[in-house]
Order: sequence, then structure tokens, then C-alpha cells
Amino acid sequence: MSATTSRSKRTIEILALVLPGVVLLGAGLIWPFATMIHMSLLDKYPGETALTLTHYLQFVTDSYFIGIALRTFGLALVVTLLTAIIGYPVAWFLARSQSRFKHLVFLGVVSPLLVSIVVRTIGWTILLGNEGLVNAALLALGIIDEPVRLMQSFWSVVVGMVHVLLPFMVLSIASVLGKIDGSLMEAAAVLGANPRRTFTRVVLPLSVQGIAAGSVIVFCLCIGAYITPIWLGRGHVTVMSISIYEQMVVMVEWPLGAAASMILTFATLLILLAYGFAIRRHAKR
Amino acid sequence: MRRRSDTLLNIYVGLVLLFLALPIAIVIPAAFNTDPTLAFPPKGLSLKWFETAWNHQPFWDALWITIAVAVLASAISLIIGTLASFAIVRHKFPGREMLELLFMTPLVFPAIVLAVALVMVLGPLGLVRTFWGLVFAHVIVTVPYVVRTVGATLSEIDIAYEEAARTLGANPLKAFFLVTLPMLRPGLIAGAVFAAIISFDEFTISLFLVGPGVMTLPLEIYYYTEFQMDPTVAAISAMLVAFTAVVIVLVERFIGMQKQFRH
Repeated sequence: MSATTSRSKRTIEILALVLPGVVLLGAGLIWPFATMIHMSLLDKYPGETALTLTHYLQFVTDSYFIGIALRTFGLALVVTLLTAIIGYPVAWFLARSQSRFKHLVFLGVVSPLLVSIVVRTIGWTILLGNEGLVNAALLALGIIDEPVRLMQSFWSVVVGMVHVLLPFMVLSIASVLGKIDGSLMEAAAVLGANPRRTFTRVVLPLSVQGIAAGSVIVFCLCIGAYITPIWLGRGHVTVMSISIYEQMVVMVEWPLGAAASMILTFATLLILLAYGFAIRRHAKR
Repeated sequence: MRRRSDTLLNIYVGLVLLFLALPIAIVIPAAFNTDPTLAFPPKGLSLKWFETAWNHQPFWDALWITIAVAVLASAISLIIGTLASFAIVRHKFPGREMLELLFMTPLVFPAIVLAVALVMVLGPLGLVRTFWGLVFAHVIVTVPYVVRTVGATLSEIDIAYEEAARTLGANPLKAFFLVTLPMLRPGLIAGAVFAAIISFDEFTISLFLVGPGVMTLPLEIYYYTEFQMDPTVAAISAMLVAFTAVVIVLVERFIGMQKQFRH
């Protein structure tokens, strides 16, 4: 058998393996995305007459849309920070603890990912509602005299999103923490560093990649989230995904909805690029 | 000193676990409330909301469609994703990294954007609000999970085993079915299970693609709450939690959760 026939056989094999996937992604990802770019540039739909940037301009100049964009990114930023701060010690426990409950803790962290998001949102409604657990506890303790409205606020959405996204952050930090060589910490201790100094000078810098990876996942999932903001915000916390849904389904403004979707996508891509850039710089140091 | 910081960490981890478990666990007592409100603690104990949920025909219709979509979408994803994983893990070819990246795109892409984009192509084809349109969209979002889990398992299987079988006279097909496939089974099961769970729970993309006669359970529950917020939704949630618990125990028993999340 000559080298050329074995190479062409290999090419056929690779083609047969990737073709179904390429067709699927072409039809379900690339083509829809190209259609959306085109749609975002139409002056109106149906019955388009020209290509225009009006819808993009409308989005970046209208204070209503700017407010929505700021709220969306603000929410994602707050949620990312909170998941990182809350999740880090848990990740530390998973990666470094000798506890015999480690396996159970791991199950406790990942299991919520498998529970329907609708169930979790209903759970938060029961906790934060006017007759919910938090209000009942505050009333019983005499801190408040009548139920306070905890739902329909920015912070109820934050709590719900942190709950949904915390496992992603914990898992990505834990995977990096688990790879740090324990002898590095011992070395720092031997050289006279106290635990705090060992942490800030050795462990934290080494785990930055895990925090960064988790942050990107959490941020991206947060700016695209729909159900938690609409359910826990109940019309009072409009984020970009809710606004896109309204433009598409309620107002049937397809080009405007497509332009808003494109802006959201560009923002996500920029974050991913910035992350890739930061990681490369970090690796070089 | 060391002891005390360990105890503090343990308490902290316990509190975080409580935070993660509480909103899920609380639907169970709330489902037994006698009052028609989503309240905790419940005023009295009753099973009537389970009965209401059980007798609510739209939940059943939606459940069957959700299961059918999940089974079909994960089966299709499993086939396409496994083929692609073989190409990505076992071969070097131009555009390999690009393909790998493309497969992961639905994971970080805003779900709402993917939904909007899909509607724009499925609409003119008459596939919006149809069963097969829904299956197609679910394949797109579930295939990354298959590529990831199967790819991770495959990359741990030494190709030498397959080559040894070939040397011993097995043809490529036989070597694959007798050697590689049995070793790959945990990855395949995990990929299929995760794909099915993702599909079962999918909300945002289905939101744009469901309609009369083609409704999924998460959306049916959501639309139910638009009209009334009574413990019926807690009852159906409690049943879903019980179902998820069974799935978690099975996954843990047969494939091991830790293995699947390590990557």
C-alpha cells in the first residue's frame, strides 16, 4: 500500500467523521447567525428596501436601551464577583481538604446543576415571597412588622443567578487549585511566610487562571440568562435577553431584536477575546 | 491554629451547601401546604396539590413531548458528537481546533441569541412551533456536552489497544467494536445522560419554538404560574426533584459524577 492511498483513506475517514457535525453546525449555528447579521441590517422586515445601521444606532443612543445594557452588564459583573468570592473557599475545600466528606460536598455542589431551573426559581419564589421563609423569619425575630418585598428587585435576581452559576465557578477554580504542587506551599512556609502571606503570594497568583476561566463562563452565562431575571424580577428587572424577547415576540421588531442580539454577541466575544489575551499575558510572566 | 481555620472552613462550606440546597429542598414542604399560596412554613398538611398537578392534563402532554424531544435530541447528539470526537481526538487535520471551538460555541453563546437566530431560519421553513424544529434546536445545544464528555473519555484511551487488536488480525470495525467501544462506554453514557438532562431542562430556546400542541414541561409550568401561583407548581417541582435525585444516584452509582466534572 503506497503512502498516498493511505493518506487519502485517512482523509475520507476524517471527512466521514466530521461531516455530520459540520452539516449540523452549519445549519444550526452558522447559517442562523449569518441570517441574523443580515436581519439586523435591514431597514424593516418584512418588506425591506435597504440596508442600514439605524437599529444599532438606536440601541447605542437610546437611553432606555443603554439603561438595559448597563443593568445587564452590571448584573453579570456583580454575580461574577460574588460567585468568585463565595466559591473560592469551597473550591479550596474540594481541591485541598483531607475531609472524608469531600465527596459529599462535591455532590452537593454539582447536583443543583441537574435540578430543573424552573424548580430552583420556584424555590426562590417560596423563600423570597411575601409569605416566604425569609419574611417569616424576619417577622418572627421582630426585625420587621410587615413583609418586605424581596422579589421583583435587582438583588433577588442577583441571588437567583449566584445560585445558578456558583457551581461553574467552584468547579473551574477547584480544577486549577487541584493542580498546584503542595510542596510550593511548604517551601513558602519553610522560607518563613505565614499562612496569609503564602496564600497571597503563592496560592492566589497560581489560581488566577481558574478564577478567570470561571469568571468568563459565569459572565457569559449571566448576560444571556432569561428565566431567572424574568421570573424573580417579574417585569421590574429588564435585562437584554428580556428586551430581545419583547422586541422579537411582543413587538415583532425583528431587525431591532437582531441588532440587540448582535450587540450582546459582540460583547460576549469581546469578553472571550480579552480573556484569551489576559491568559496569554499571564502565561508569559 | 490550624485546627480552628479548618473548622471555620468546614462551617463555611456547610453554609454554602445549605444555600445551594435550600431553594431546591423548600419546594417539598411548600407542596404540602393547605393554603393556596406558595408559603413557607406551610399552614397545614395536605396532598391536594399533588392531586391537582397529577390531574392537570397539560403537564402530562408537555411531559411526553419533553421526554420524546430529550430522547431524540440526545440520541442524535450522541451519534454526531461521538463521530466528531473521534476526528478531534484521534486525528490532526486543518481546521481541527476551529471545529472544536465551534462545537463548544453553544455553551458560552447567549442562549437568547441562539434562540433568535434559530427562529430566523426555522421560521421561513415552517419549523417553528413544530416537534422537529424543537428537536433540531435541542441537538444544537446538547451536542457540546457529548463532544466534551466523549472526547474526554476518548483522550484517556490509549490508541495502542486498538493498534494491538489490529496487529492481532482484527479489521478496523472489529477493533473498534470489541476494543474501543467497551472502554468508551462510560463516556457515552455520561454524554447521553447530560444531553438528555440539558434538553429536559432547556427553557430559553424552547421559549421561541413551542406553541399550541408542542409544549415542553418547563414552559408549561412557567405559563401555569402566569395565571396562578399556587402550590401546584411546588408539587410538580417536588416530583421533579425526586426524579432528579434518582438520576443523580444512578449517575453516581454507574459512572461517577466526579469523573465527568474533572475536565
